Amino acid sequence: MKIFESLTKIPRQIVFLVIALAIIIPLIAPIGFPVNVMPQTRKIFQAIDSLGPESKPVLVSCDFNPQAEPELYPMLLAIMRHCFSRDIKMMYMALWPMGSGMIEMALDDLSDEFDKVNGKDYAFLGYKFGYTAVLLGMGENIKRVFPYDYYGTPLDSLTMMADISNYEDISLVVSLATGQPGHREWVLFAQSRYGANVGAGVTAVSAADAYPFVETGQLVGLLAGMKGASEYETLVNEKGYSDEALRATKGMDAQSLGHLLIMIFIVLGNIGFFIIGRKK
Amino acid sequence: MNVSIDPWVWLAAFLTLCIFSFLYRDNLFYRFAEHLFVGASAGYWIAIIWHNQIYPNLFDPLLNQGNLLYIIPLAFGILYFGRFFRRIAFLIRFPIAFLIGWASGVAIPAYIQAYILKQAQGTLLVRDAFSRLDSGLWAVIVFLGVICTLIYFFFSTERKGLIKPAANLGIVFIMLGFGASFGYTVMSRISLLIGRFQFLLGPWLGIIK
Repeated sequence: MKIFESLTKIPRQIVFLVIALAIIIPLIAPIGFPVNVMPQTRKIFQAIDSLGPESKPVLVSCDFNPQAEPELYPMLLAIMRHCFSRDIKMMYMALWPMGSGMIEMALDDLSDEFDKVNGKDYAFLGYKFGYTAVLLGMGENIKRVFPYDYYGTPLDSLTMMADISNYEDISLVVSLATGQPGHREWVLFAQSRYGANVGAGVTAVSAADAYPFVETGQLVGLLAGMKGASEYETLVNEKGYSDEALRATKGMDAQSLGHLLIMIFIVLGNIGFFIIGRKK
Repeated sequence: MNVSIDPWVWLAAFLTLCIFSFLYRDNLFYRFAEHLFVGASAGYWIAIIWHNQIYPNLFDPLLNQGNLLYIIPLAFGILYFGRFFRRIAFLIRFPIAFLIGWASGVAIPAYIQAYILKQAQGTLLVRDAFSRLDSGLWAVIVFLGVICTLIYFFFSTERKGLIKPAANLGIVFIMLGFGASFGYTVMSRISLLIGRFQFLLGPWLGIIK
């Protein structure tokens, strides 16, 4: 009986320590669990994979801050690698102020890998305050909402922006979102009102909320958390678009072990609780 | 092992460890990091709002471009400060009424379209859903789930007859929803922990790439 009592009284510091070890060990010595690609991830991948150099650009909106970096930044890198490898033109913007910093960091990270030119291969619109007005305004005229790009260059002077006026001139919008404003606002104002094709990459905590939009077709596809990022990385890797290190995939071993441990703790705690409860 | 010599990396690692120290118990290091974060965030937001919102959208057109129409939003904005003076506190109602009116007009039709009509449409049992056995089965489950969950939240009638098992089935669907949300929340928090450990073991200590 003492064993079951002690199961319900494990000091939380011990639990934290064991979880920390379950995370650290697979990071240092990866196990290599296979990554099973979910249909909603494949949908986004295929939507981008069907595009080419002559297609309308893909717009990535970085609606997150550094707190969501482990989940959403690998998605940003994987999507950029995919688009750059296929010479698809890209546009970047942010509905969160620190999103611009994440884009700048990603462009810097990929500068050695791809020789892409600002204004010709991609346009970096930057951050704009007031998401409702921004999203509705972009449906009418993007250049009126963003007269200048992130670097202060007039958008009219950028080669790749010559024929781009509103959502009709964009193949796909991908919102990498961690909250509000994020994928919900893109669905609300860009998809619902202007018929834009919207896909989303969200933190796992928002995933359950985002799934219904995939089912109804309001979202083209969905990347859910670090798992979604690792699935996209796997697809990009399998197609031979990049052989760079898979950032999210490396974390998935730790993720799986962490989950396993938490499940064990929940089961043990419940066993102890029920057995003691029955005895009392 | 290739330990970083960048002082900013060391600072970030120090602050990460300060926050982690709370897992043992509340302490001075944790509170230092917490207060630093709150202060830095507040300062950052003030700067962001000034440089991205107030100056380019109000003061620049008003003062540098001489567009006097911008006096109207400026005056409306100033009315917010009426709250600090009891005699004119009622003035705050004007900008709030304007804001609520504008936001409702913009959001309500969009919400109805995107969150109610489209979602209800997605719940309907249409012929296309039964083109394959699995999609047909899921369509029926989703349909049952929505109806039973709605019945569970229908409190205007006594739970007896068909209503009772339907409401009980609704509880099952609600629990499944909570379970999925909780599972994803755990996944999200573990991801954040992985991100921090990747930073500590990678850029800081140089143990992993």
